[in-house]
Amino acid sequence: MAIVDSTQQLLEAAMRGAWQRQTALTNNIANADTPGYQPQEVNFESALQGAINGGQAPAEVQFQTVTRSQQVGPNGTGVSVDEESAKLAENGLDYQALTQVMGVRNTIMRSAMGAPPV
Amino acid sequence: MGLFDAIGIAGSGLTADRIRMDVTAENLANAQTTKAANGKPYQRQEVQLAQVGARNFGGALSNALAQSGPKPGGVQVTGIVADNSPDQQVYDPGNPEANAKGYVLMPNVSTVTEMTDMISESQSYQSDVTAMQTAKSMFTSTLGLLK
Repeated sequence: MAIVDSTQQLLEAAMRGAWQRQTALTNNIANADTPGYQPQEVNFESALQGAINGGQAPAEVQFQTVTRSQQVGPNGTGVSVDEESAKLAENGLDYQALTQVMGVRNTIMRSAMGAPPV
Repeated sequence: MGLFDAIGIAGSGLTADRIRMDVTAENLANAQTTKAANGKPYQRQEVQLAQVGARNFGGALSNALAQSGPKPGGVQVTGIVADNSPDQQVYDPGNPEANAKGYVLMPNVSTVTEMTDMISESQSYQSDVTAMQTAKSMFTSTLGLLK
């Protein structure tokens, strides 16, 4: 088993995707009052799933930031701040879960290498 | 994609909301001003917002070339424009500004509109602060991996 195995690569790619999604969600909230603005989203999970099924290395997957066409609300934009805030909170927790898993894996790796635990 | 993009974008939202708040305060402060700089009643001001990178050639080109789709860039204030709706006419014959029929031309500022705008601005500001805090805690958890 290589030190950087496929799980580690997947974790890295998922963190990259979650960060890209965070940027898109923040942009949606910043533009919540911009007339005609349509929200953006990053569906990195399906892109990663497709890469796994197709045998592509997770590190090579580029995630797409796509514009979602929403019904324009009374404020002139397709952004629902409640919806975006909920997604923002969820994405932040997802990201922290990913970093926790990665931290635990690093600890295991350290003890295997005989390095002192932190 | 940079690490601090999300924080910068939330910052652009904070700036835009602060400018909107300034303009609302200006409108409220001048709600009774019958003589603005041009000698006419004060005209209500409005802020125009646009998505960063959406309106210029460079932004459109880099979006078209980007492999990962359009790059989120935040929001910007493109201008502060006057609201051209007609002035309000208030019957006040004792006022020195009154015309022959006793009407005074007052600014086209509605206090109710400005107050509701102010609520919406303060809520957008708070949403941006939340987005910035979430980005910060994500970044902090990544830094925690280096310990």
